[in-house]
Amino acid sequence: MQEAKSHWRVLVVEDEAKVARALREGLEREKYEVVVAPTGEEGFFLVNAEEFDLVILDLMLPGRDGLQVLATLRKRGLQTHVLILTARDAIEDRVEGLDKGADDYLVKPFAFPELLARVRALLRRGRTEQSPQLRLADLEMDVMTRNAKRRGQYVELTAREFELLEYLLRHKGQVVSREMLARDVWKETRATPIDNVIDVHINRLRRKVDEPFNPKLIHTVRGVGFVLREE
Amino acid sequence: MKLSPSNVRSQLTIWYVGVLGALLVAYGAASLFFLFLSMREQVDHNLLEDMETVEGQIAKEPDGSLTLRLHHGEEGDPGLHRFVEIWSAEGKLLYRTPQLDGQALGGPPSQKEASEDISPVSERLPNGLRVRLASSPHHFDNYIVILRVAHNEQAMWRELREFTTVLLIGLPLGVLLAGFGGYALARKALAPIDAMTLETQKISAQDLGARLSVQNREDELGRLGAVLNAMLGRLQGAFEQLRRFTADASHELRTPLTAIRSVGEVALQEPKGPAEYRDVIGSMLEEVDRLTRLVESLLVLSRADGSHVQLHRADTSLLSVAEEAASTLEVLAEEKRQKIDVEGDGDLIVSVDRLILRQAIVNLLDNAIKYSPVESRILIRVHPGKNKKACLNVIDQGPGIPAEHQPYVFDRFYRVDKARTREWGGAGLGLSITRWAIEAHGGEISLSSKGGDGCTFRICLPIASDTPSQTAGRVSATPRMENDL
Repeated sequence: MQEAKSHWRVLVVEDEAKVARALREGLEREKYEVVVAPTGEEGFFLVNAEEFDLVILDLMLPGRDGLQVLATLRKRGLQTHVLILTARDAIEDRVEGLDKGADDYLVKPFAFPELLARVRALLRRGRTEQSPQLRLADLEMDVMTRNAKRRGQYVELTAREFELLEYLLRHKGQVVSREMLARDVWKETRATPIDNVIDVHINRLRRKVDEPFNPKLIHTVRGVGFVLREE
Repeated sequence: MKLSPSNVRSQLTIWYVGVLGALLVAYGAASLFFLFLSMREQVDHNLLEDMETVEGQIAKEPDGSLTLRLHHGEEGDPGLHRFVEIWSAEGKLLYRTPQLDGQALGGPPSQKEASEDISPVSERLPNGLRVRLASSPHHFDNYIVILRVAHNEQAMWRELREFTTVLLIGLPLGVLLAGFGGYALARKALAPIDAMTLETQKISAQDLGARLSVQNREDELGRLGAVLNAMLGRLQGAFEQLRRFTADASHELRTPLTAIRSVGEVALQEPKGPAEYRDVIGSMLEEVDRLTRLVESLLVLSRADGSHVQLHRADTSLLSVAEEAASTLEVLAEEKRQKIDVEGDGDLIVSVDRLILRQAIVNLLDNAIKYSPVESRILIRVHPGKNKKACLNVIDQGPGIPAEHQPYVFDRFYRVDKARTREWGGAGLGLSITRWAIEAHGGEISLSSKGGDGCTFRICLPIASDTPSQTAGRVSATPRMENDL
């Protein structure tokens, strides 16, 4: 994780103590500098007083509404990225949030890998590997020629398996949830029951990419998702 | 109206009494008026007749003076209602009835009286007596006498007064009696409504099974009762559904909660290694995922109930959506060595939200794969249906669904085989969501299954009309939220 050195400052405006603590620990583990504001007032004060690279903003806050904090931030003309967290599942709220200048939103309850992926994407760190050549250990992929090699041997993959492996490889070292895979690889809505489909594909991919070789690269993180990494 | 009593009974009675009273007053007044007219006419008629009689009784004495030769008994009769005055044209009183006691029937005659008849007019004598008076000039040889005759009207006025008194006493009495009658009648007419009110009050949310008793379905009250009963039926259905839904939902929520709790509590009983803890947390997270999905499915349904979902329709080939769904789930079928065949008419175009329709078909296909045996065949067939519909059948070779379960398979949380479905991770909401998705598109979904022979789910959607302009504008009307469902 070569990009972990840089110091991105993240403000978390979240009143729910447990969630705030989890966010702080999870983000600090990823080497972000995290400031937590437990109320809208404090968040309001902090975005006025200091500069952050990213604000993670809960919409339902006591005192001052999250949208007001957002409006203030945008009035200051700061190009801080804003990621909205909301338990309100109504589409209108999200549209309003995006209208007021939020960059992205996540609906509670969210999966932490998903949050990390969004944060990375917003801080332009998720796209470090747009090159057609992808690599992890002795696994190589060429997106242009659509070839995959393990230890120099070509691996035969179906179109879907190739897309799945590409997605995992682009997110190497990061846990990827089934929800992310369903949305980004299968382009399905959340309620479509394709977890089994994803699992079957992962198993097939393992058989082709991992079983004949060492070390194993595709790992299951129970209850969370999958990750591509060297052990 | 200032008076506004709270019950219909009194209002009806007040209106009734008011209208009846006004009518009776008008009728009484008119009667009185016509009675008066006819009595006066009678008086005038008699007066003119008397005038002629009196004319005939005037005689000229040999000495040239005039006398009134009255018939026997008339002269001194105090009951006589007739008064006479005779004047000369020069204004000299020639004769006056003694009953007048010297009171004048008016002053000396005017010029007009001497030349023509004066029709009867009402007069009041100095002693207050009301009379009707007429006069007529009378020629005698070479000079003129003026004859005045008056009739006492006392009797007529007395009669009118008596009649008025009868009216004034009788009318309110009649109205009062009519009011009581009307009130009793209104009460009788409205009694069934009161009874209905009492009956309805007894029906509560806990006891929606009761119904109002309806005597005659044909009359107004019967119809009201029938309508109320029908409404009660719908209410009962809705309550029943809600109760079942709440019970099922809490059951479904409780299951993963119990798992999370017991897994966590057991893990904390004694110290464990990191790998074991990892396993425990993972297991808990799996249950959390199940809860999350359940809550999201419920949200989809509740939003569907409130019609908050906006469909992003576009003209789409039904077959192509089916092919997409099949290709998504193909791997699951392969694992069970099943074969999915998609066949039919690719030219059938429907106007649908592709994502939502695909989700619906995936749900059906997912069920078909789950319940069909290894190495069986699943067929998706697209064909034109009746009434400009495009139909899609998902036909499997599974065990089928017993007839007693068929009416409920689309109900929320309904499971044909409770124990079996649990292990597949479903909460019994898939088919509900599918039905909602199809109905939101104006389509229908049905199930046919003969025990042991597999089952067929059929979706029928309206074929898109030839005017694509209707749908073209809506596709990008609002930003697409991929995460909505």
